[in-house]
Amino acid sequence: MFNKILVANRGEIAVRIIRACRELGLATVAVFSEIDRHSLHVRYADEAYLLGPAPSRESYLRGDKILDIARKCGAQAIHPGYGFLAERADFAQACLDAGIAFVGPKPSSIAAMGDKAVARATVTKAGVPVVPGTEGEGALRDDELLGLAPQIGLPLLIKATAGGGGKGMREVRKLEEMPGLLVAARREAEASFGDGNVYLEKLLEGARHIEIQILADTQGNVIHLGERECSIQRRHQKLLEEAPSPFVGEDQAFRQQMGSVAVRAAQSVGYVNAGTIEFLVDKDKNFFFMEMNTRLQVEHPVTEMVTGVDIVKEQIRIARGRQLRYTQDDVRMNGWAIECRINAEDPYNNFLPSTGRITHTLLPTGPGIRVDTGVYIGFEISPFYDSMISKLIVWGETRAEAILRMRRALEEYKIIGVRSNIPFHQTLLDSHRFMGGQYDTRFVEERFSMEAAEESKVYQPEIAAIVASLVAHQQTQRAAHIIQRGERDTSNWKWLSRWERLQR
Amino acid sequence: MKYIATINEREYLVDIIDEGHVSVDGTVYEIDFEVVSGQPVYSLLLDGQSYEAHVYTTEEEWQVLLQGRLYPVRVEDERERRLRTTLGGQMSASGEFQLRSPMPGLVVSLPVKEGQPVTKGDVLLILESMKMQNELKAPRDGTITRIRVKAGDNVEQKQILLSVI
Repeated sequence: MFNKILVANRGEIAVRIIRACRELGLATVAVFSEIDRHSLHVRYADEAYLLGPAPSRESYLRGDKILDIARKCGAQAIHPGYGFLAERADFAQACLDAGIAFVGPKPSSIAAMGDKAVARATVTKAGVPVVPGTEGEGALRDDELLGLAPQIGLPLLIKATAGGGGKGMREVRKLEEMPGLLVAARREAEASFGDGNVYLEKLLEGARHIEIQILADTQGNVIHLGERECSIQRRHQKLLEEAPSPFVGEDQAFRQQMGSVAVRAAQSVGYVNAGTIEFLVDKDKNFFFMEMNTRLQVEHPVTEMVTGVDIVKEQIRIARGRQLRYTQDDVRMNGWAIECRINAEDPYNNFLPSTGRITHTLLPTGPGIRVDTGVYIGFEISPFYDSMISKLIVWGETRAEAILRMRRALEEYKIIGVRSNIPFHQTLLDSHRFMGGQYDTRFVEERFSMEAAEESKVYQPEIAAIVASLVAHQQTQRAAHIIQRGERDTSNWKWLSRWERLQR
Repeated sequence: MKYIATINEREYLVDIIDEGHVSVDGTVYEIDFEVVSGQPVYSLLLDGQSYEAHVYTTEEEWQVLLQGRLYPVRVEDERERRLRTTLGGQMSASGEFQLRSPMPGLVVSLPVKEGQPVTKGDVLLILESMKMQNELKAPRDGTITRIRVKAGDNVEQKQILLSVI
């Protein structure tokens, strides 16, 4: 049993885990890179230690340094969060070798599920259906992949073996484009995961991405907490998630069927702790195993909101060897939850990431709202880490109430200093297809445009013209003011430099 | 003070009469305009209607984000407008476009060569930042001149990467 936990992560998820530890009465240790010195996770933790320079390779990916810190400060457990070291079997093993509990699955489960090809072979044996692809073939060369592509059929996806989050992923529509796309995918996979291996998978069109949250204890109990709908994606990055899925809806039999298949997939690798089975679901409710994420998911809060289960606390209890506090029959989904990922991306400019300092922020509050974030006023969005600013989560009694509440929350949410994708979410929530739950994984890229949606919104150019003119006017006035004030009450040199500045 | 605000090629004549009054194309409104806590967030009460807007500046225009809709607005006073119209519109059509890096990052590849003609929307450069590969595209037709970076270079925000004429 441990009572001091090291959180090997940064940003909102580090804060989330520290909060859970606080509520459980556990001592917390944060680690940080040079540019994260002022971060909330550093300030919220009981202890904090420097890892190294900003690039992940020299800080949050330095498993050796993290273990050294854990040993020195007497932390008996490490929570990896998501990303960074969360799905590295070698790191999980190194923790166990050092006598430190790893808050996550066994290294063997990470290895089995982490190599996506092995994962597919393993679950196939357990009778779980998989999407056609180069399953269980291991690391293939470009010429081998090119040879297999016609058998799988186009369109298909190139995916990073060690991957996740859409990195190192490319879509192939024409065979002649494939060699170039392979090079790009391998390069991105190498940069993101230090592993350039890729595999191929058939691209199911019109499919939905629905995933099942799993909890498993060391006594062999495995339960699922229902599904999450994650089809709102752009370039395979999830942008909005909801629980339950509007596609599954009232079909309890379908939910339980997917749930029990997910449980079987987890059992096939002797899974322990929290994990997620991702399925692709076609319009006829056929579902295929895509992959298992052997860690906490970014979008775990939507499940927490509808089931009332605190997944992070449950992870820690499991790692302490406790039995699950719930049986499958105890799990009930109540109401509806939606999460919007608020990213520093400009939806008006091709979702280009935006860097800079958050000079002001006002969080939405009020009934049914939760914001998980690691940023604060003065926080610098740097190019070193991902562009997520926060996760805005709402709960409603029904899906309609959740949507209306999310709209209200997005209106209240102010982030100044960097561009955010809040206008994207506002536009999305206004679209009829989203309201009707009629969307698939291609929706954002193929049937959604900020411009077209803008046209249906109230057009108030006069107000915009007034605001812009007033702001321009104020700026001119302020510039004129500086000359007047500077006239005689300060040194002529200062006056000269101000004058020069104005003349530029 | 009179300003000409242009939105989507339509001009609005905005006259700031005094602290509490403006007119747009001759219609007078009573206003109360406040900056919210020194930030680029503005609260406008216009004949009792409450509006909140974010205002961003770029080199050539103001971008007003109002109720989830973005309005690019060019604001000129009469003098600026005369200057621009006499200098002529050819400037923008034939002038040099400089592609600047929108953020710090690593140049992954440059699919174009100097002297190569490009059309609007062509990928000019792939920049890696925030663990993503971002495609920077041509904003209009033209010819590539002066490539100032090469693959593998680390670039700063706003650094000039290449030019299109």
